[in-house]
Amino acid sequence: MAQITLDRLTKRFGKQTAVKDFSLEIQENEFVALLGPSGCGKTTTMNMISGLLKPDAGKVYFDGREMNEVPPGQRGVGFVFQNYAVFTHMSAYKNIACGLKVKKVPEEEIQKEVRSFAKLLKIENILNTDAGRLSINDMQKVALARTLVTKPQIVLLDEPLSNLDAALRSVMRAELKRIHLELGQTTIYVTHDQVEAMSLSDRIAVMNFAVLEQYATPDEVYHHPKNLFVANFIGSPTINFFKGKYKNGEISLEDFPKGKIQVFNKYKGEIDKRLKNENVVVGIRPEHLKLVDAGKKGEMLLQAKVVGSEPLGSETVVYLKPEGAVETIIKSIMESDYRVDVNDIKLLQFSEEDLYLFDEKSTELLLKF
Amino acid sequence: MEQKLYIRVLKYILVLVIVLAFFFPIYWTITMAFKPHMEWTSAAGKIFWVPNKPTFTNFTSLFQRKISIASPLASTAVRPIVNSIVVSIISTALAVVVGTMAGYAISRYRAGGNIAFMLLTLRMFPPAAVIVPLMVLWAYLGFVDTAHGLFILYGLVTLPFAVILMKTFFDEIPKELDEAAVMDGYSNWGAFVKYVLPLAKGAISTTALFCFILNWSDFILALILTDKDWSTIPVYLDKLQSGYVGKLYGPKAALALIAAIPPVVFGVLIQKYLVRGLTFGAIKK
Repeated sequence: MAQITLDRLTKRFGKQTAVKDFSLEIQENEFVALLGPSGCGKTTTMNMISGLLKPDAGKVYFDGREMNEVPPGQRGVGFVFQNYAVFTHMSAYKNIACGLKVKKVPEEEIQKEVRSFAKLLKIENILNTDAGRLSINDMQKVALARTLVTKPQIVLLDEPLSNLDAALRSVMRAELKRIHLELGQTTIYVTHDQVEAMSLSDRIAVMNFAVLEQYATPDEVYHHPKNLFVANFIGSPTINFFKGKYKNGEISLEDFPKGKIQVFNKYKGEIDKRLKNENVVVGIRPEHLKLVDAGKKGEMLLQAKVVGSEPLGSETVVYLKPEGAVETIIKSIMESDYRVDVNDIKLLQFSEEDLYLFDEKSTELLLKF
Repeated sequence: MEQKLYIRVLKYILVLVIVLAFFFPIYWTITMAFKPHMEWTSAAGKIFWVPNKPTFTNFTSLFQRKISIASPLASTAVRPIVNSIVVSIISTALAVVVGTMAGYAISRYRAGGNIAFMLLTLRMFPPAAVIVPLMVLWAYLGFVDTAHGLFILYGLVTLPFAVILMKTFFDEIPKELDEAAVMDGYSNWGAFVKYVLPLAKGAISTTALFCFILNWSDFILALILTDKDWSTIPVYLDKLQSGYVGKLYGPKAALALIAAIPPVVFGVLIQKYLVRGLTFGAIKK
């Protein structure tokens, strides 16, 4: 299996820069997700790793060997595309056998390999069916088998689940995880779905506008987002942001004229050191924001009006609006049997440890309390 | 909502009229081909809706040299038929082979910049508009009255059609398909030949039929660039007349019937490819 190094990759299409100075280290057998909104350069990055695109600048290394001039077919890379590149004029078996045929593997071995991978993916029963007549789930599995059967050292998966419906997606997610554990190839997985990224990968590379924003483990990305973009992109429902001003250890929030957040004295020095001006953004995840009717003495409490709620079964998401605010919608995750009415006034309860403090201008995380 | 009876009746009458208008010429040609001389001329003084005494004289006269009034031409229909077949097939092959490769290059590699649109405008140009300079050029090259002179020209005239049709088709085949083949280890050419071409079978047959019909039915280019000893079916059809009876409608109908066979057979053969759904469902999106 192989280790991958991307060294300041850059790719432009005309005037537009699709990927800019993108560097990444991926260890052997690691499962890395490239996560980001549509059009942020994820697929372009994959195409450069596979060799389908040549970078305008920067280098791709596999196990320390430069790959820029090696043609795609000789890189030992398997690629599963979003629109499964399954050849509908052939049977599933022939589709899977394609890659081995090109490599002139003897017929008996092809048969053995195809069968064993069909078994791994649980598609033995459809091998003789025309690929064009398969269900979308089976088609995806054929595409996967097609790629895996050549035993690539590196597997690139470009949003392989995005065409499946929700139920199948979670099944396939588990399958992918199982297959990766079994075969152990270095895998890069492109997705815009944070659930897939969080559940599958060892590390997540969050991309936005052609640039790498953060590269860390799912836990790290979730609990210590590097900046506003990452904090906002990871987590569902999304994190709550409140604009505010910092002064002498106290943060006054725009949406809550009456409320103030006291900063613990032990952090004061650090904030003063790092913050250039007084504009900050306070972030808090919906699951850390609880709704109460009356607060205990000494707690930080802010008031807001309920505008809607979604009982989701396992939990209830409540949407609120601070009085006087125009745009801000606050999200809170409550227990499954929690019920509120629209226009109820609630107090927001949270503890300081769950707050994030961002510099509004640079968008960087200043401090996790 | 249920339609009123008289509206439905009117609708079907309209449909019937349209169907009759379309099928009558075909009916008339078929019946005329089997009518004896007396029935297809005005000599009898009445119209024969069906042949009274069906005969094959019209057909046989096409292939017999100098048989009295029915076939006064010096040449039989054999040469024109052979010429038409040879010229149409070669020119269609030319247009389809070049058109497929050009269409793929334009679709995948944006080859030639704006060439696709230029080809389209070229196609809007009526060939008759350039017929005189073309005649001069062909005469200079010694291409007049030759098979290659005609099939090169037909190939050129139908090429823009072929390129645009094939490009549109390749645009619909996802790039991932070629890329998957490249990842398997094929060259770009290998991917094209092994994976893309088999998928394009339908589009290629449809394009071929289209070009074939255009070439097969061309009259004006063949009329100008050939003479009476070396002509194609449409030109020969026009020349089927004699000083004695004027236009030889019976033999004309017979030859028209023969001429209709190749496109019809071709069309039936590739019928399954003409169903768009089969050819364009290559990938589930």
